[in-house]
Amino acid sequence: MSAVVRRGTRLTAETLCFTFDGREYHGQVGDTAASALLASGVRTMGRSVKYRRLRGVLAAGPEEPNALFTVGSSPTVFPNVCAPQLELREGMVLRSQNRWPSLRYDVASLLQLGSGFLGAGFYYKTFIWPSWHRWEAPIRALAGLGEAPGACELPTVAVEHFSCDVLVAGAGAAGLAAARAAARAGARVVLCEREPVCGGELEFESGTIEGRPALAWIDATLAELATLSARVLTGTALVGETGGEFIALYEPGGLPGANAVYKIRPRAFVIAMGATERPIAFINNDLPGVMLLGAAERFLSRYGVNAGRELVLFANHDRVYAAATRLVVAGMRVRAIVDTRDATGLGPQAARQRTALAGTGTDCLLGHAVIRVTGRGQVRRAVIAPLASPAAAHSIACDTLLVSGGWGPSTHAGMHEGGVTRYEEALGAFVSTEQPDGRENAGAANGLLELSQALADGAGAGTRAARRAGADGDPGTAPLGSGDGAPRLVPFWRSPADRAGEKHQFIDYQNDVNVADLRAALAEGFVDIEHVKRYTALGFGTDQGRMGGLLGAAILAELRGEPLRDVGTSRLRPPYHPVTMQSLAGLRVGARLRPMRRTPLHEWHVAHGGVLEPMDLWMRTRYYRENGPGAYEAGIAEAQRVRTSGGIIDGSTLGKIEVAGPDSGPFLDALYLNKASTIKVGRSKYMVNLREDGMVLDDGIVLRIAEDRFIATTSSGHGAHMLAHFEHYRDTQWSGCGVTVTDVTEAWAVIVVAGPQSRTVLREVLSAQWRQPLDALTHMAFARGTLAGQDLTVLRASFSGELAFELHCRPSISEPLWESLIAAGFKPYGLEALDILRVEKGYLVSSELNGQTTPFDLSMDDLVKHGNHCIGRELLDRPAFHEPTRPRLVGVRAVDGRMAFYGGAQLTTPDQPHRACGYVTSSVYSPTLSEWVGLALVSRAHADGAVLDCRDPVRIGDCKVRLTSIIHYDPSGERMKS
Amino acid sequence: MIRLICPFCGPRELREFEFHKTRAEPGSTPYAQVYERVNRLDDSVEHWQHVQGCRAWMLVRRNPSTGLVLETRILGGDHP
Repeated sequence: MSAVVRRGTRLTAETLCFTFDGREYHGQVGDTAASALLASGVRTMGRSVKYRRLRGVLAAGPEEPNALFTVGSSPTVFPNVCAPQLELREGMVLRSQNRWPSLRYDVASLLQLGSGFLGAGFYYKTFIWPSWHRWEAPIRALAGLGEAPGACELPTVAVEHFSCDVLVAGAGAAGLAAARAAARAGARVVLCEREPVCGGELEFESGTIEGRPALAWIDATLAELATLSARVLTGTALVGETGGEFIALYEPGGLPGANAVYKIRPRAFVIAMGATERPIAFINNDLPGVMLLGAAERFLSRYGVNAGRELVLFANHDRVYAAATRLVVAGMRVRAIVDTRDATGLGPQAARQRTALAGTGTDCLLGHAVIRVTGRGQVRRAVIAPLASPAAAHSIACDTLLVSGGWGPSTHAGMHEGGVTRYEEALGAFVSTEQPDGRENAGAANGLLELSQALADGAGAGTRAARRAGADGDPGTAPLGSGDGAPRLVPFWRSPADRAGEKHQFIDYQNDVNVADLRAALAEGFVDIEHVKRYTALGFGTDQGRMGGLLGAAILAELRGEPLRDVGTSRLRPPYHPVTMQSLAGLRVGARLRPMRRTPLHEWHVAHGGVLEPMDLWMRTRYYRENGPGAYEAGIAEAQRVRTSGGIIDGSTLGKIEVAGPDSGPFLDALYLNKASTIKVGRSKYMVNLREDGMVLDDGIVLRIAEDRFIATTSSGHGAHMLAHFEHYRDTQWSGCGVTVTDVTEAWAVIVVAGPQSRTVLREVLSAQWRQPLDALTHMAFARGTLAGQDLTVLRASFSGELAFELHCRPSISEPLWESLIAAGFKPYGLEALDILRVEKGYLVSSELNGQTTPFDLSMDDLVKHGNHCIGRELLDRPAFHEPTRPRLVGVRAVDGRMAFYGGAQLTTPDQPHRACGYVTSSVYSPTLSEWVGLALVSRAHADGAVLDCRDPVRIGDCKVRLTSIIHYDPSGERMKS
Repeated sequence: MIRLICPFCGPRELREFEFHKTRAEPGSTPYAQVYERVNRLDDSVEHWQHVQGCRAWMLVRRNPSTGLVLETRILGGDHP
């Protein structure tokens, strides 16, 4: 392979090996994929997305539209990686995209033969019969960029939040000058540079600054910034801004999936992100061998790669002569320089360079344009004609055509929060004018392409940014420098072409948008630039219109016959740099997505075969594996055991809010439908909250532990919400009153002991002092005392219909207490069994409290009647809440007792089979009754005893059900009160 | 992203806060308080809670069209 060791600013002499489309290549450490392939003579690096035309590398930065590779082997791949940004590593596996079976022979490229039909809007207009969806799958298979990863190792990407005084984006001449001025003035500066090294254009532009060569000045400036504690982030790309927070990705090596994500909040922001070179549209301007002039210079200076041997340069400004001089010095042969301007456009410096070049045999043409390039698979000849008479064309043999149509300032970053731009004729581009507070463009990003101006502008912007951040030190004098002269550009967008030729004048390479597509868009009535963008896909893709956006707008202006300033460009939005969802998620993936709340008994459940599931942030046990192969079987076994002897369940997830103070009674009265102030000390009450609109919000038991102290329990899933609800009313209506609200959820572990033998077991397990209280406790009463020196409250309350006690104990004694209950013969049960027990007893599960049910719907009329004036009470009187069509809670059982029915099944009547009159909210198989029982919300028109059709066609089919009383088991409640 | 200044804790990231609702017009009927809430583009008066911080309830006046926060103060005696 290449025996010659190339020399470039980014290269070392060490070689490495990689594969591209299965073939082995060599590069040098520091090479990018694009530079190493170019050096190996590979010019074709992909095919275009629609017409499958062969494409080579066009640019040397993130604006590259063609050379996008898939990196890695399936399924762990990174698609659409920008080859000029991708730093090579030993053994890297690269693949070209948009081709099948190979880059050279692509089946779909046959489409090119019919490309006359494939213009913008082709698919939408052609594949409408019988429906787009019929065609979508095969078309999608052909479309798209790269292969989506099938699996991905999730790196632990840390997100670093920090603030600073001045954030400078871009470390070119202007950015360095800005950072230095701001840092000297005393501001805390962060300098963010996308490339692995600082310098920007200074890397190859032959300039001198403050009497030193540009590269020496860069080193000196960086050294000074280090002494001023400025933070320089290289290899870090800015993604965008939202409301003063900037997101930047550290992506060393150019592989997506950042190694670090920075979220930066600066007081002031200097945008010094330079300018992006743009091409000129001519026929076949996408042929491999066509490259941007600036890209050729970068490949040369950084990687020692010659873009070609025989060059033709095509431009509309003075800079082309300086560049040509440098290319000739490097040993390339410049056959011709085609300048679209006439002789009056040339500046003195360029005129001198032009004369010198002409002396070395370069054909320097003025007032000419490259009409087309020809060649099979790569550039062989350039057809050149005078603009005054395009027919008088001649051709020149060449292998590379370097094009430069000017530069568009990178105003993108400033536009995310509403910056404004203005068209600048001298640049043929839009520059920023009014910017949101604290944001300022500088240097080339501000339209100042000359080194001396960029330095002065940068220093000025840096000083103003520092002042804004409150740093009032001396910023020093602005650096003086001189480099390439002013470009003296005359806007030129596309070469003359006939209508057939316009199909091959490409504007947006990545989306295969050509001049004919813009014409088609206009013909279809898409006139506005935003509409044209959507119709043609101009400015979509990974380069986000960096390459084709402005060119497209300019050609649209030409076709519309209007000035470019009136056409404008499409709205710029983040992300400016492609960002993976993974990077944005950071560490918040998988189990770390949300915090997890564990009960004090969590480890015990895990160790003893508990199958846990999330409930809000809590993890709760659904069932224990020893009781059955699945939730259904285990739940039945566990529920049966509770009914026959007893069991224990971990209820620590219950929300517990301690409400204290002289006004705590009236405060709770306002929050609950029924009165708390009438509860006697030592007693508890089942209470219901309403939302402000009268719907039932939550239910729970409220304990009065002292005259001025209550503990309100909430359902497990609602704890956090109810706490906020309590706190809101404490801080609004009850502000200044004698009431405090404290979350004590985690201060108390709760073990529920349920079953006919629960009292017996507790007498055995708890210490002797508890025997008398246990015997004395009546339903809904509680006793407070200690166990092993720790607080313990025993509340006699039941959600299972059996005699049951809730033990509220300190978490530290919960596990020994739990273990001693196990030792006494009680086994644990899970949520599945709890649901069975609740539905059997007609207790609300959770699907009944769905925010659409009133207390009347849930048969809580008594609570309302004896209730007080609470939140939401007033809206309960709305007539619609009392109409006969409102649902009411009923019990349901299958007419044929063996049939199963599930929650969610719709209930209908035979005369209206297509209109549901209700639905099953929850259903369980009751082992005690040996049949399925459920709860349902059914229109009041249907009385108990009515038979309805229970429709569940997708899951288990239909059956007939009878409406019953809500309570399926032990309606008189004797067991509970025994 | 807008940034709120908690009266107790100072400026904090937005994700520490939870939006509750826009404030009801004081003195309006219960029905209007629930269903006829104002939704102003330029000056929105809202209730927020510093949920992942000091848990204070705050009144936030802000301009939703610009993201500018005009006022933050703790709630006290306000209408819920």
